[in-house]
This record gives sequence, structure tokens and C-alpha cells, in this order.
Amino acid sequence: MTEWEYHPAPDIDETMSEHLRNFPRQPYMLMYAIRSLVALLLRGWMRIYHRMRIDGREHLPESGSFVLVCNHTSYLDTLCLLSSVPLKKIHRTFPAAAADYFFSSLPRSAVSAILINALPFDRKVKGAESLTVCAELLKNEGNVLIIFPEGTRTTSGEMGRFRSGVGRLVVGTKLPVVPCFLDGAMKAWPKGKAFPRPHRLRLRIGTARTYVHLAKTSESVGEICRDLQDSVAELGRLDP
Amino acid sequence: MTISTALHSDIFLTYIAIIGGLLAFAGVVIAILMALGKNVSGVWKTYRGWLVMVPLVIGAIFLGRTATIIGVCLLAMFGFKEFARATGLYDDWWMTSVVYLGIILLGTASYVTDPRLGYAGWYGLFMALPAYVVGAILLVPIFRNRAKGQLQKVALAIVGFIYFGWMFSHLGFLANTPHAYGYILYLIFAVEINDVAAFTCGKLFGKHKLRENISPNKTIEGSVGAVLISLTIPWLLWFSFPHFEPWHLVLTGLIVGVGGQLGDLVISYIKRDLGIKDMGAVIKGHGGILDRVDSMIFVAPIFFHVIRWIHGIREVPVS
Repeated sequence: MTEWEYHPAPDIDETMSEHLRNFPRQPYMLMYAIRSLVALLLRGWMRIYHRMRIDGREHLPESGSFVLVCNHTSYLDTLCLLSSVPLKKIHRTFPAAAADYFFSSLPRSAVSAILINALPFDRKVKGAESLTVCAELLKNEGNVLIIFPEGTRTTSGEMGRFRSGVGRLVVGTKLPVVPCFLDGAMKAWPKGKAFPRPHRLRLRIGTARTYVHLAKTSESVGEICRDLQDSVAELGRLDP
Repeated sequence: MTISTALHSDIFLTYIAIIGGLLAFAGVVIAILMALGKNVSGVWKTYRGWLVMVPLVIGAIFLGRTATIIGVCLLAMFGFKEFARATGLYDDWWMTSVVYLGIILLGTASYVTDPRLGYAGWYGLFMALPAYVVGAILLVPIFRNRAKGQLQKVALAIVGFIYFGWMFSHLGFLANTPHAYGYILYLIFAVEINDVAAFTCGKLFGKHKLRENISPNKTIEGSVGAVLISLTIPWLLWFSFPHFEPWHLVLTGLIVGVGGQLGDLVISYIKRDLGIKDMGAVIKGHGGILDRVDSMIFVAPIFFHVIRWIHGIREVPVS
């Protein structure tokens, strides 16, 4: 008789908090069920409370992995972008979130990991390592990575300079990068307020761009960042 | 079993006193050892685990029948989940869902009223469920039109359902018996004492290996010591089941003493075959849920059926 092959889950000797903080995450049925339910409720809330409108949904690639970049004005940005991808992709959509805030305590990790499916991004010490995690993630077909290249929420309303991370991630690869512009989130949930207000949200999704033709140099990284920043800003200037 | 019967049950209150006393005593011993400068970090971790688990278990029993049955059902589900994740069966969400559903049905059968006899707990359905659930597990490959590797998945799912689900759920069904407090509290208490006794006797007198290919740390001396201690426990706790005759006490002690260690060995060879140390890491200092309830899985159904044969599980015989 040949022996059976067993494949124990790689994380069975981890505690609950390690499960939540480590990445990539193992799939759990209960986690998926909760996340699907929350995503559904979130979509309803976005549509009714914020009267969210999404333009250009057809620009989202139907297959393969891609990166979504967006301006960052409020926590609502993530929730809004999560509501823009098809529901069946919700478990494969990973918003990059600052590890120093969103994974700093157990309750925060639980919300970030279970509800948001966030990818813990270390923006202080191990930025390069976090980028490698992102690159590995995008190598698997069908994953979506949400990045806010400004690195933090704007307080002035002016869009900040795009950091080099997104450029380094996609330079010389076939990965499509989809620029988005979210309008209204700053007024709906300003930094420092406890609850969002019922302000209208409008998300514009632009055409996907690829940077396969560029060599992996710091000049091209800068070029990508400028190009993406311009296209996001361009979407923001369109007529309502 | 309700909150008010718990408050008026001498058996429940006595157990709280015994368990609380033992925990306090152990805490004092650890504190003394600490003061003497001994390294107690391992023991302390295990003890802290107990401090979390004991109130949860006692709390569920205190809240009554519903909470007890739900608690056992949840433990069975999470126990099966650990088994599924350790074997890789968890990758197949169809199989896993069918087993989860089966375990929920077991909890439901333990909870609802028997429609024909009017007793709490539908014994007939509880005993018939394995036939239905095993049938459902066997149908999964047909529904999904798959053959490759399905025998292994079906086999693992059946073991998972029968052993970790059905056998363990007998503990929850005991909540329907008139002597629920005595039976359940005795079982939990005696099984844990048996575990501790096997460990302690093995440490003190252990020389000859019991089953060196399965669990190299277990010894014949430890095992015999644990059976002897388990044989004395029912006499000390006779108040839990005042209707027992002396030979019932001997039988009860043997079931816990022998069955508890067999349950331990079953999990041991499963873990050894899979090449893992613990089934999980949910309880700090104890490993996974299955590492804690391993002995109970084996003991609960044997105890249940022996007392059922001798005394029945209802006060009033079926007319």
C-alpha cells in the first residue's frame, strides 16, 4: 500500500494573534463567511448612506492580477475601493495597510485581517521586505492589491507626492496598474472624526497602465510615480 | 439544568469548591516554588491556561443545558477543524462543510425534544446521525464528479465526524440526564485528574516505555499509577452519583483510567503519523483543543453507554 500524503496547514503551531498578523494568511471558512457578509453590507451602506457612484468599472481587468492606486483622504477610501471590485474577488483583494497602525493591537489586527483582508505594510523599517511580499502576492493569478501611493491620508485636501514603492513594484512587469480617484471622502469622513457623515462619494476608475517597456532603474521608477500621479489627478479634474 | 438548579445543586456547588480549592492550592504551590527561585515558567503557562479554561467550562454548565450542549458542539467543531487542518482535509471545503453540518446536527439532536417520547434530547436521531452523515460524506465526490484522492478525503472526513464529532458529542447529550451535574462534572474532573496522574506517576516512577513508537514519554508505571488513582476517584466523588453500587464505581474508574489514556494515545499516533507536535496553539501552554480534550473523546461515549445500560439515561422508563 502506498502511503497517503498529508498536507498539514503551515500555521497550525501559531496562536490566534499570529494567525491574524502573519501574511500570507491561510484561508478560514469562518473568516471568509464573515468577510463576505461584511462586504455585502458595506456595499449597501456605501450605496445608501454615501450614495456612492462608480464610473469606469469596465476598466478593471477581468482576469489576472492587478494593482489599484488611489488618492488617500480618509479611511473610507479603502472601504470604497473594496466595494468597487466584484464580490467574488473580495477574498483576493488586499489593501496595503500600515502595519504600525492597523496591526498594532489584537482587536485592530482582527478587523484589518478578517474584515478588510489587509496586507500589513511596514512603511518604516522593512519597506523593501513588504514590497517583496506584495510582489509575491501579485505573482499568483487573480490577486488585487490596493495601494495608496501617498503613504498617508492628506490633511490639506491636496494630493501628496506619490512614493516610489508602487513604481518599484511594477517597473518592467506586465502588471496592470489601475488609477482611481475618489471624490468626497474627505468631507464624508475627515481625519480625526469618529464617524463618517452621509456625504456623497464618487469613484472614477481610469484605464489600466503597464510599465513593461521600462528598465528597472530609479529614473523609470520616478517616471512611473509621476505618470500615475498625473493620471489620478487627471481623473479628479474630470467634470462631475 | 438551569441557573437556579445549579445554585441549588449540592453536587454542582461541591465541585466548584473542590475545583476552586485545587486551583488555589496549585497557585500557592507555584508561588512558593517561585519564591524559592525555581524555574516555573512552563508550569505557570499551563496553570494560566487552566485559569482561563475552568471558568469557561464551569460557566457553561452553570448556565444550563443549552449552554452545555452548545459548548460541547463548538468544542467538537473546533476540534474537528484542528484535525482537518492538521491532515490537510481542510483544503476541501465541501467535505469540511458536510462534517461541520453533521456536528451541528448532533448538537441539535442533543438539544431538541424527542418528538415521540417527549424527553429532552432526541436519542434516536443522535444515534442514527452517523448513518446519514457518513452517507452524505460519501456522496460529496459524486456531486463534485471527482475520483482522484477522494478515498483519502472521505476516510479522513468519516474519522473526523465519528471520532471528534459524534463520540465527543456524547458528553453534551449527558446534559439531558437527571444526574447531569454529577455525570458531566465527574467526567471532566476525573479525566483531567487521570491525565495529571499519568504524567506525575510517569515522572516519579517511570522506567519502562508504554508504547515507544507512539509516545516515547509515556511509561507503564505512569499508566498503572493513573489507573489506580482513577479507580479511587469515584469513591471520593460518590456523591456525584449516589445511585451507583460499589461495582459501578469500579467500572466508572476503569473507564476513565483506561479510556482516558487510550484517547491520549490515539491523538498521539495521529500526531506522530502527521509529523506534528501539537494539533494547534489555541490554548497557551496546552497546545490545541484536541490536545486538551483527547482523553474525553474516548471516555465520553463509553461512560455514556455503560451508565445507559445500567441505569438508563431517563428517570422514567419508556412505557
